[in-house]
Amino acid sequence: MSIFKELYEYREMIFSLVRKDLRGRYKGSVLGFFWTFLNPFLQLMVFTLVFSIIMPQDIDQYYLFLFVALVPWMFFASAVQDGSTSILRETNMVKKIFFPREVLPIATVTSGFVNMLLVFLVIFVTLIFSGRGIKLSTIIYLPIVMIVQYILCLGIALIVASVTVYFRDLQYILGILVMALQYMTPVMYDMSRVQDAAEKMGWPQMVTLYNLNPMTPIITIYRNILYYQTVPHINTLIEALVIGIAFIVIGELLFKKLQKGFAEQF
Amino acid sequence: MDKDNAIEVRNISKSFKVYYDKGNELKEKMLFWKRNRYENRMVLDNISFSVKKGEAVGLVGKNGCGKSTTLKLLTKIIYPDKGSIEMSGRVSSLLELGAGFHPDMSGRENIYTNASIFGLTKKEIDARLNDIIEFSELGTFIDNPVRTYSSGMYMRLAFSVAINVDADILLIDEILAVGDANFQAKCFNKLREIKAQGTTIVIVSHALGQIEEICERSIWVRDGHIEEVGEPLEVHKHYLAAMEEERKAQEEKEKTQLIEAEEEQRKRLAKEKRHGSWEVMLTDVRLTDKDGVRKDNYDIGEDMYLHMDYRVNKPIKNVRLEIDVYRIDGMLCYRTNTDIDGKGKLEFTKDGKITVKFNNPLVTSDYWMNIYIYTVDDKEVECYKEAVRFHVDSDKGEGGVAVMPHEWLDL
Repeated sequence: MSIFKELYEYREMIFSLVRKDLRGRYKGSVLGFFWTFLNPFLQLMVFTLVFSIIMPQDIDQYYLFLFVALVPWMFFASAVQDGSTSILRETNMVKKIFFPREVLPIATVTSGFVNMLLVFLVIFVTLIFSGRGIKLSTIIYLPIVMIVQYILCLGIALIVASVTVYFRDLQYILGILVMALQYMTPVMYDMSRVQDAAEKMGWPQMVTLYNLNPMTPIITIYRNILYYQTVPHINTLIEALVIGIAFIVIGELLFKKLQKGFAEQF
Repeated sequence: MDKDNAIEVRNISKSFKVYYDKGNELKEKMLFWKRNRYENRMVLDNISFSVKKGEAVGLVGKNGCGKSTTLKLLTKIIYPDKGSIEMSGRVSSLLELGAGFHPDMSGRENIYTNASIFGLTKKEIDARLNDIIEFSELGTFIDNPVRTYSSGMYMRLAFSVAINVDADILLIDEILAVGDANFQAKCFNKLREIKAQGTTIVIVSHALGQIEEICERSIWVRDGHIEEVGEPLEVHKHYLAAMEEERKAQEEKEKTQLIEAEEEQRKRLAKEKRHGSWEVMLTDVRLTDKDGVRKDNYDIGEDMYLHMDYRVNKPIKNVRLEIDVYRIDGMLCYRTNTDIDGKGKLEFTKDGKITVKFNNPLVTSDYWMNIYIYTVDDKEVECYKEAVRFHVDSDKGEGGVAVMPHEWLDL
């Protein structure tokens, strides 16, 4: 429990690291912080162009279908990949100063999270202009799923950050793993596609396998809320929360054990 | 834990793994798993001490004795293998100045970043901001990006933040060497002030004077254990004496090593000058005058006797003895052997002596003689280079190599 107290005392460090990261991201460019919005907006333009003209899909407004899932996915990807190097990037601090080491992965994940929140402004604007609008009865679930995802991402980040210090290859392995996982998560397609495929192949376990992926329920919920604008199944939400909590507990236990040797690994 | 104590260190040990050949990659680990040997170097061996609340303690000792490791353990950057450390109150460490400084951000913004790393909240930083800026003497520069600062300004800002963190325990590692003399004095006064407020201070420093001024006690760490604890002046006296002794011992060691190396060199050279199969071996070679008195300075035309004592290790026959005379610059002046002189093949059966009489024709210079014993098929039985040295001194002024016997027929 003392970790909460300690982290609370060091909250300003987390905030200032997040601030530094967000502000430093586009430092030196002419448009500066504006890129945070411009980047996803341009990406959305490309999707619209490709998926309505060159590769039309059966799914209505596919660019939106894709985008509402891709943004949370990118947060996940950055949390895992940047999270894995969060300790390594600050070797000087870790070697010389005491602070709860959890601060570093927390700051990295939080910075990715805040970035996602900002991109969501672009999503809202797009939803309104595309004619879908925003339904209040469903949008209230958005903060909940965001928090659940944050917990999951932080749990994974704690694990990969501490292990990468001892096994540096992990950061590169994760690059491939996250890429592969993106195709094995219903980001570019729906779960119904997976169910169809499972039936066709006569292999119903495939759906179970998909559900083992902690990001599956989360992405599904995001899409329900923003694209289909339906209330998410409470079961799916609970499943996601349980997985997230499991990860963060395991993550903290592992991190706590491994962090004692951090300073001697550099 | 005693409530009067701020720090209690009990029986801590710490060792580091020193790898002979460290490879982190999987490939290296697989291929060279046998090579992945390491040595466990004991840095701290069962150390215990305690520091009272409000006390200032200095850690002294030579480089690598473990004092910085002790400080790192107190800071909880690393953890001991054995033993326990208890501290009461907020700990601030001045081990690294300017941690987390972002060059593009202003001095003011960096104060927030840096102070937050010491565990200060925004409110606490706000309260200290003016003190920090004033102490740093940066004035209006405080709103310029840190990258535009000189290194002195940078360190001043960093130190100002660190020293204005109100901690119960302050750990300092060798950083009172910041800025110019004025700023240093100011830092020192600040430190005194902090101490007067009841802060416990632990300093690691090689500047013994600073410790003597501010600390009540000194702990002398030597090779991972505590050698002495007590009054700084007293401890430092012993410490310096021990250092001096070590330095002398080291000097002595280096001296003997040098002598040994020279001896080695001499032996090696002697060996190079001499080799052979040594069925017969020259035991003593000397030059004397006609009375048998050893000397190495001859006149032109003077008789010189080359005496060669030999020992027979294994009887040998059908050999020849050769004598080469060289000038100091390496020019061969004369060569002769028993074949040329028609002495026939030599046979050595028991120890004995050979003497050759020369009449010296060489002019002023330095010379040496090489003596060889060869078998008929030119195998070296004895090869003794520079067996004797001599010089010729003549004030008559003849030049060249050797005297050519001559007559002036018309004069």
